[in-house]
Amino acid sequence: MIMVLACLMLLFQALTQGIMFKPMNITNLILQNSYVLILAIGMLLCIVTGNIDLSVGSVSAFVGAVAAVMMVNFEMGVVPTILIALAIGAAVGAFLGLFIAFLRLPAFIVTLAGMLMFRGLTMVILKGQTKAPFSKAFQALAAGYLPGREWNVDGLNIIAVVAGLAVSFILAFAMLNSRRIRMRHHFDPVPLWVDVLKIASVVAAVNLLTYELACYNGIPVILVILTALILIYTFFTRRTIAGRHVYALGGNERAARLSGVKTNRVVFWVYVNMGVLAALAGIIVAGRLNAATPKAGVNFELDAISACYIGGASASGGIGTVIGTIVGGCVMAVLNNGMSIIGVSVDWQQTIKGLVLLLAVWFDVFTKSRPQSR
Amino acid sequence: MKCFHKVVLLSFTAAVFLGVANLAAQRTVGIAMPTQSAQRWIQDGHYMKKILEERGCKVDLQYAEDNIDAQVAQIENMITKGDKVLVIAPVDDESLTNVLEKAHTAGLPVIAYDRLIRDSPWVDYYATFDNYKVGVLQGDYIVDKLGLKGGTGPFTIELFAGSPDDNNTGFNFRGAISQLGPYIKNGKLIVRSGQTAIEKVAILRWDGATAQKRMDDILTSKYADIRLDAVLSPYDGLSIGILSSLKSVGYGSKGKTMPIVTGQDAELASVKSILSGEQTQTVFKDTRTLARRAADMVDAIFSGRSAEVNDVTTYDNGRKVVPAYILEPVNIDATNYAAVLVDSGYYSAAQLGK
Repeated sequence: MIMVLACLMLLFQALTQGIMFKPMNITNLILQNSYVLILAIGMLLCIVTGNIDLSVGSVSAFVGAVAAVMMVNFEMGVVPTILIALAIGAAVGAFLGLFIAFLRLPAFIVTLAGMLMFRGLTMVILKGQTKAPFSKAFQALAAGYLPGREWNVDGLNIIAVVAGLAVSFILAFAMLNSRRIRMRHHFDPVPLWVDVLKIASVVAAVNLLTYELACYNGIPVILVILTALILIYTFFTRRTIAGRHVYALGGNERAARLSGVKTNRVVFWVYVNMGVLAALAGIIVAGRLNAATPKAGVNFELDAISACYIGGASASGGIGTVIGTIVGGCVMAVLNNGMSIIGVSVDWQQTIKGLVLLLAVWFDVFTKSRPQSR
Repeated sequence: MKCFHKVVLLSFTAAVFLGVANLAAQRTVGIAMPTQSAQRWIQDGHYMKKILEERGCKVDLQYAEDNIDAQVAQIENMITKGDKVLVIAPVDDESLTNVLEKAHTAGLPVIAYDRLIRDSPWVDYYATFDNYKVGVLQGDYIVDKLGLKGGTGPFTIELFAGSPDDNNTGFNFRGAISQLGPYIKNGKLIVRSGQTAIEKVAILRWDGATAQKRMDDILTSKYADIRLDAVLSPYDGLSIGILSSLKSVGYGSKGKTMPIVTGQDAELASVKSILSGEQTQTVFKDTRTLARRAADMVDAIFSGRSAEVNDVTTYDNGRKVVPAYILEPVNIDATNYAAVLVDSGYYSAAQLGK
């Protein structure tokens, strides 16, 4: 899928006569899609357990609305508002998770009910109207940049460039380190040049990104949050016991339960987690629009689910990675952005995105149906 | 895997080169419209595009299908593309503060089209019809047709308003109530549902299906044995839903005549409905004149003049009073449609099936 993403970006770079890679557009891409990616990370865990969550768009809108009421009507501070909003998200997730994990109702139906309920409650809270505006501090989460924007050399933001170099240094070190460990344990070693090429392309990608950002306004706050989430969840899914439980459960629930995995609890916490991430996405959407609206977050769940499937998650559970999901989300993001720049109208955009989803899943099934070697 | 690395590397080198070769657009006008699901926005966009292209501008016309995020992204992309002026009819009038900030930073003037953009100091002009007057025309039409001024009555009426998040809804509803209110107060007009506050009667996103449902519910619960005499509907799209609901309980058939149903925008389907005796009235806002006004404003901006306006006091968006050009709406019913709609070439007689 990374290859598809790269080709897609190139294609649109040509079709938009160079607008795709303009620093401003790369920044826009991040700001426009961060919340879908955040939702997709949570959605991935739901999908890996073999379930789904259709309520995330409504929950995002609901939390955004509550946060708006807290700040606009009760004049609460930004930090308490955000904390309470996240707690509400967790409570909503726990509420839905209770029915799914312990009462064993199908997730599809429970979250469908959640989607209707929380959309309705959003309208109740907002009385059908838009609530605005918010303080600069609240907007900064979604639309702000890291401080230090005045430190420039030749129009390049120093912080962004340094961050890019630092991140690429860490990544290169980590990748070399894992190669050394593989060598020590005599795992079949990949030729050195392949690894070097791999590191070089990752470093190039990271630095291209930070260079682009440095040309414009620097590093968006939301990118830092997103990167942190990607790292945390990659670590969680790969290296922690709880994370492996999620996969074990999705692969074969019965086997997992017999091996001592408390499957009900795992599913419950997966939904609590989804609730918190939906709340975070809701806060970010509200901050970005600088308004809470009754129609915010419509179809977000579908974007998040598409990102997971395009990123290689399996509908039957047990398979899918955080990085894959992010790449899947970026494919959708680039499609959205590229088509919007060319001037394709929203009706055709949806048609094309639907087609891409279908092709991606077909491709996935097709490549996996080949006999696997042991 | 080899292939993969090559593609990645190639793409980045190519990207850097292509990035340099970016072409700057000349005199491009970005037009952001709310949706293609209503006839009027299609016409608005079409006319404006035609007029601006005749005047030598490039036009970047985009519809957001009533999706707030999509519209914000479209406007951001217009800024990125290097469009020089933005004409925006917002999906949601309060959700564009941040993106207009960006437009301002990039030095782009913004014209609000038909719907005022709220809470932003960066709205340069506003072109619209007098929305209060639209409401007045609708309310006055009902008063006139029922003969309330002659002391007849009492009559029954139900009220509908536009989307609660649209700035025009308030102007429109207040206009209508300025005419109907006195008769509701003295009991000559009876709202049996008891729903008269704007938040009770507003229909989210101007959605006809929602209006139909609300009418269904009211007819079932309040008008089972009593005749409904008039419906205040702010927009043709709602009127169509309301009329379907009325027909489903037998209005418009033997001995049970249709109540008075108002409308707005003179959409083709609704003008036909008026001709076949279902809808009673609509308010015509000639989108061609509005589109021409907006195009004139764009022209003025390009030539560095200030654009012609006729109202600099009414339209306060919360951050500034936006200089506006206000156009007058016209009443349409079965008696004058030919003179206003057909003779001006807005619709051909063939389109109306005559």
